[in-house]
Amino acid sequence: MTPSLAPRRVILPVIYGIALLIAWEALAHSGAVSRLVLAGPLEIVVAGVRNWSELGFNAGVTLAQALIGAAIGNVAGLLVAICFVHWGFFRRAVFPLAILCEAIPVVAILPVLILWLGNGMAPKIFVAAFLSFFPMLVNAYRGLSNVDEEVRELLYSYSATASQMLWKVRMPAAVPFMFTALKLSACSSMIASLVAEWLASERGLGFLVVYYGQSYRVADIWSAAILSCLISLGLYGITAACERRALSRSSP
Amino acid sequence: MRGPALSLAFEGRRPWHWMGLDIVMLNAFPDEATRVRAATLPAGLYADGIDVVFRRGSHSVQALKDCSLDIPRGSWATLIGASGCGKSTLLRVFADIVKPTAGTALLHGVSPAEARANRIYALVQQGSTMLPWRSIIDNVALGLEISGLPKSTRYARAEEALALVGLKGFEKSLPSELSGGMRQRAAIARALTLRPRFLLMDEPFGALDEITRDRLHFELLRILEETGATLLLVTHSISEAVILSDKVIVMTPRPGRISEIIEVDFGRGRTPDLRGDPRFVQYEAQLRRALHQPA
Repeated sequence: MTPSLAPRRVILPVIYGIALLIAWEALAHSGAVSRLVLAGPLEIVVAGVRNWSELGFNAGVTLAQALIGAAIGNVAGLLVAICFVHWGFFRRAVFPLAILCEAIPVVAILPVLILWLGNGMAPKIFVAAFLSFFPMLVNAYRGLSNVDEEVRELLYSYSATASQMLWKVRMPAAVPFMFTALKLSACSSMIASLVAEWLASERGLGFLVVYYGQSYRVADIWSAAILSCLISLGLYGITAACERRALSRSSP
Repeated sequence: MRGPALSLAFEGRRPWHWMGLDIVMLNAFPDEATRVRAATLPAGLYADGIDVVFRRGSHSVQALKDCSLDIPRGSWATLIGASGCGKSTLLRVFADIVKPTAGTALLHGVSPAEARANRIYALVQQGSTMLPWRSIIDNVALGLEISGLPKSTRYARAEEALALVGLKGFEKSLPSELSGGMRQRAAIARALTLRPRFLLMDEPFGALDEITRDRLHFELLRILEETGATLLLVTHSISEAVILSDKVIVMTPRPGRISEIIEVDFGRGRTPDLRGDPRFVQYEAQLRRALHQPA
């Protein structure tokens, strides 16, 4: 991305965004739509500021669950991918089972998870980890096994050990693939954590949305949702920035 | 070719900086008897009755049949033949990548597996594959890094090798910033850092344009003369084979066999003027005849 292009890329979406917000505000004020159905942007901002401490605390809970879950899921996914690369037998035995598990609608078994793990942070962390695990497993495995035949032969001719192969070739080759998984997990773990809070919890943005919903505080619901959205975007942005830094060396 | 006595005498006169590898070799043979046996075996590349059969499921393909050759130490040999004649497979037998079904292959008297473990050969492949995230110097020093040398030694040797192939000043560049010819030079430098006794090259210039290839040929010859390494090179270019060889080994396909060995008597100190030599044209014609002969 050249510097001269950057403003152009930003200006257009910003203009359209502002236009959309004005139209939305106008629609909310026109009286054509009930206040219970649609809150105006200004109202949402006011609600957000009013509930700042409440939102902040609960967002912190949801974020913590998301981050812990994502960390566990991604590390586990990477470790299993490494095992897959080194032990073909293990991969052939476990990969089909792993794909089968991925098809489980984790939200649907949430009640069971709550029975097993209680209604604290554990089931939320589990769901976030579960949804981060598979993208990392699949992407990291692809990256780790994405080694050119000539490179494999070259390292073989050097009598390189499996761990040298892993650290000097496989891992660096897998970095772009791992970032793909991390970016997926940046958004999905926040959503997973929030959704898991709907069913049974006393804290978190998901709890707050349900709580506001029960008392028809539409503007408050929107403020919580938008805050969650901003946090997801922030996580994604941080991950993407790390990716750019990490990959800038190999692709000038 | 060269008798055992001569081989031993030759051994004693090697300059010590290339003898660093001989110490490795001696350590590989702890007992006196094996050491003596190794010393009496051919010091170059030697193959006797190599058969390679690839099994794919129920049917098998004979890739090599009864291949024998003897390439004296310090000399240059080329494997040439139509695709599918097993020339790469034969090279890979020496590199310990392909295990022969029958027969013996020796590099300086040791098996390919021992040669690989002691890193006495270096491989240069067709694609001059570099790890794209590593700078040129880190790519060139990869083999030394794998063998566990300290960073300062690694870099000193890599810089030396880069200077030898004319890539001084590109240490910090990335492979993607280099042209194909420069990458191939880097691949040769990477092989040279190991100070190999044997250079095994699998169509190393295949992907390059004629002009770059021509220049690299004579650079390679200069390097080979400076280092005294033995060369085994796979090619499908007739002129490349004549320029780079003391011995051209002609192979025919189905099954891969050595059909003829042509000695090229241009000696050392070869220059690009070689192409104007009437004998060059004769060798080319002789090789072409050998290649087109019905099997």
